[in-house]
Amino acid sequence: MPESPPPAEPAPPVAVAPPQAPPSSPPAPPPPAEPVAPPETSSLTGLPPLQVHAFASQGAIKSTKNNYLVKHSVRGSVEFTEVAINFTQPLTERLRMGLQLFTSQIGGVGDFHIQADWYYLDYRFADWLGLRAGRTKVPFGLYNEIQDIDAARVPVLLPQSVYPLLSRDLLLAQTGLELYGYLRLGGLGGLEYRAYGGTLYSPNPAPSPGMTLIDYRVPYVYGGRVMWELPIEGLRLGASYLGLRADADFTTMATDPASAPGMLDLTVVFHLWMTSLEFARDDLVLAAEFGHWHARLDTTAQASMQAAMTATTTETDTRYYVMGAYRVVPWLMPGVYYAGLLPHVSMMTGRSDHQHDFAATLRFDINSFWLVKLEGHYMLGTADVASALNDGKMQDTLDDRWFVFLAKTTAYF
Amino acid sequence: MIASTPHTAPRRPAAHRLGPAIAIAVLVALLAPAQGARQSNLVALATAEGAPGPNAAFRIIVNPANPATVVDRAFVAQAFLKKVRRWPDGLTIQPVDLTRDSMVRRQWSLDLLGRSVEAVKNYWQQLIFAGRDLPPPELPSEGDVVLYVLHNPGAIGYVSGAVPLHGAKVLGFQ
Repeated sequence: MPESPPPAEPAPPVAVAPPQAPPSSPPAPPPPAEPVAPPETSSLTGLPPLQVHAFASQGAIKSTKNNYLVKHSVRGSVEFTEVAINFTQPLTERLRMGLQLFTSQIGGVGDFHIQADWYYLDYRFADWLGLRAGRTKVPFGLYNEIQDIDAARVPVLLPQSVYPLLSRDLLLAQTGLELYGYLRLGGLGGLEYRAYGGTLYSPNPAPSPGMTLIDYRVPYVYGGRVMWELPIEGLRLGASYLGLRADADFTTMATDPASAPGMLDLTVVFHLWMTSLEFARDDLVLAAEFGHWHARLDTTAQASMQAAMTATTTETDTRYYVMGAYRVVPWLMPGVYYAGLLPHVSMMTGRSDHQHDFAATLRFDINSFWLVKLEGHYMLGTADVASALNDGKMQDTLDDRWFVFLAKTTAYF
Repeated sequence: MIASTPHTAPRRPAAHRLGPAIAIAVLVALLAPAQGARQSNLVALATAEGAPGPNAAFRIIVNPANPATVVDRAFVAQAFLKKVRRWPDGLTIQPVDLTRDSMVRRQWSLDLLGRSVEAVKNYWQQLIFAGRDLPPPELPSEGDVVLYVLHNPGAIGYVSGAVPLHGAKVLGFQ
């Protein structure tokens, strides 16, 4: 009976030559004695050289009706600045450390406070497992980590339904641990995965008039992202999750000055889901993402000498976009997207229960270190417009159809 | 009995047929460059495979101490994008690039990485400013790439068919 053939095994990525007898012919002559670049190391420390990169962005925004992102976008605003510098130092083949300092002014957010955008120690045990400790960017969706990196994307504004600029402090980075890795799947492509857990250090929420903030904390943030690189070159499919809890305690001013102040405790728990699809090949980028963001707000209010009252409200938003961009020539890359935000909140009706954003961008790469972008948006609805930027007007009373125009320039290296 | 044919079937107004036609045209337009790039890949790989001669579009070279003889194309791309960091024997992979104005790099980028040099630069901008990783060093000449490969045991680079290799090992594709 003939032997059955052994089961086929996937070919290893690299094949090596079998051991051979010493060649009879003399070995190839060594390279000629010419100037040789030694392995790059710092002369003082013996380490590879410190890597430094930086960018500076300045933008302008003008909206036709509602103030958007910044306080005075209707009259035009240049409060749209981002600056960062980072340092990365490899310590060994497996260990690395890095730090990025960041400052920004986007409307009332940022105010040019310098903060450590990220810092970490990164140890890679193997391709399939690495560990990072410190403050790291949150991997959520395709582009959350580059929300503030103008040079790394086509649009000036990423789709705000999925990457809200004004929630940057809540979504961009966490302080704790992250596990990451990459698995080659042979004929099935590759799998990139990341999981993290820690807390957030974000600015305290601004209390309403008559309230004083006593304590604000984020007990936990955790989540992960899995990206499957399909066998079709340039195509990847992924899913992300982020869970977060934030607690805020306030005292409230009593209506009767003789009474003791009341207490107001808020606990908000977020569960954010996102599915992602991207096709990037040659000079074409197509992307689409869809997700549900769920928030539960527990409120406990206690007036002086009275029993505490509790209430719970929930909200689930549907958020999505489709985007495409193509580099026509090396210095010009137009892009378009449509993004939607549909908050399912019972109290919202009419124009405030949706926002549809149709955007078009021209990205001009003037040279390797400087770019300019022009962008226009046609908006339907006001679900993503802040009342606070519009003199406290309710979203339902704002204009339903409006335009936003942006220009931005970035220098980077 | 009269059989109805497509010619006698009632037709919808022309405008209603434009939707699918436009969709197909867009799909064809999107796929066309990809098909072209794939054909280019085959040409480049055919010249690099086996015993690459001086007319090869590029050759993949490694340190002579590296035991590898042939390599998977996807593995090379993942190594240059730093998704994989280790050779099968555990040695750290040290990819080295040519500068972005090099024609060899442009060809390499499209054929092996499936992206233009500008798109790859964008990929690295994302990783640099997200604190994820740093791009491979960029050297100004193919001679420098050869020297870098000769002096770094885990190095992998690419050069055109004409440059002298001084003993650097050429890898074929699986």
